[in-house]
Amino acid sequence: MAKELTSKSYIDHHLTNLTCGKTESVGWTCDHNYYDEMGFMAFHVDSITISILLGVAFVALFKLIKLNPADQKPTRMQNFVEMCVEFVNENIKSIFGSTDNKLIGPLALTVLIWVFFMNLMDLIPVDFLPELTKQVSYASGIVDDPNDAYFKFVPTTDPNITLGMALGVFILTIFYSIKIKGLGGFIAELTLHPFGKFAIPFNFALEIMQLLAKPLSLGLRLFGNLYAGEMIFILIALLMFFQSAVFGVLGLGLHLLWALFHILVVSLQAFIFMVLTILYLSMAHETGDH
Amino acid sequence: MNINATLISQALIFAVFVYICYKYIWPPILSTMEERENKMAAGLEAAKQADDSLEEAKLTYEKELKEAKEEAANIVEKANKRSSQILNDAKVKAEAETEKIIESGSKKLENEANKTREELKQQLSSIVVETASKIIDEEIDEKKHENIIKKAAEEI
Repeated sequence: MAKELTSKSYIDHHLTNLTCGKTESVGWTCDHNYYDEMGFMAFHVDSITISILLGVAFVALFKLIKLNPADQKPTRMQNFVEMCVEFVNENIKSIFGSTDNKLIGPLALTVLIWVFFMNLMDLIPVDFLPELTKQVSYASGIVDDPNDAYFKFVPTTDPNITLGMALGVFILTIFYSIKIKGLGGFIAELTLHPFGKFAIPFNFALEIMQLLAKPLSLGLRLFGNLYAGEMIFILIALLMFFQSAVFGVLGLGLHLLWALFHILVVSLQAFIFMVLTILYLSMAHETGDH
Repeated sequence: MNINATLISQALIFAVFVYICYKYIWPPILSTMEERENKMAAGLEAAKQADDSLEEAKLTYEKELKEAKEEAANIVEKANKRSSQILNDAKVKAEAETEKIIESGSKKLENEANKTREELKQQLSSIVVETASKIIDEEIDEKKHENIIKKAAEEI
């Protein structure tokens, strides 16, 4: 039952994750016909795989380079790596002042490079990897129809990925808040501001919203920017449906322009995610009054 | 675009990578950087010190050069003085010697002349007598004409 390729099915295909999950009727499955049945117990295999691969790429890039000792000329890759570390440290210093928190540096570096790599996937032409997956899985007999093979290859256009990272940052924020201020101090911060102890419920409602808004906005900002960028690439690619040379050239030009502009978005969003991570952790370290 | 267990998995993967970075990536890079920073600071400090001591050495060198020049000039001046003095002394001495030699020479000459004169005087008397006797062919009493002879001799 080969589906007709329409612009709607094209977009849908690009926006559907390769998902494996638990269903009521058939148990664990990766079949796309059961996607709607999967509840919370579902995994976006494509996002997870790519993000792990990119994380491994980050570790490999920073771990496998040869670090010359201090009395020798640093290698080129070493210069690059040290530049990244220096950049992260500068940002931490400007936001934190000085800190003896040993985790914030590695955390910020991981966020910066990893998110940057994941965003960078957006610059791979929109059809390359999905088409490749289609052909490979059809040829190997995993699916009967190539259009049933889904593969979404930009992890940061998946809200699960961005919110997952934001959740990690959120947990760290709470952990450091309690560690620095003590449990009582943390609760006091949540309940006694801004209107003092006679309006505790109101204060709590305000503060808890403020607290939850941080990770939510952190994850959704990254997701929104990258999702929108991905969407524009897909829409530009739709120009090819007209099957005319003029629109083809136009599409090519627009792709190039948007990709060039997107380089900015890709690096900027990675940078913003890092800065906000540092900022939220530094707020967790603040002990003074608001 | 639904939220599911992917979120939890990603949070865990995130934690794993942060831990790997915290444990294995961050410390070696940072320690290398810090070490190099310290080395560079030390190197710059050493360079500054070397510059300072170079400046100092230059000053000392210039001072010593000046002193040496002065001393050399002194020595040359002294040597000049001394040589001219030696020259002078030698001149004076030589002059004195010359004078002495001349003097003794002339004295000797005079003595010789006197001696010759004396001898001549003595010989002359006999020559004169002999000659005269030959001339006048007559023996003249030497004693008798002693006065005349003497007179003649003195006139020589």
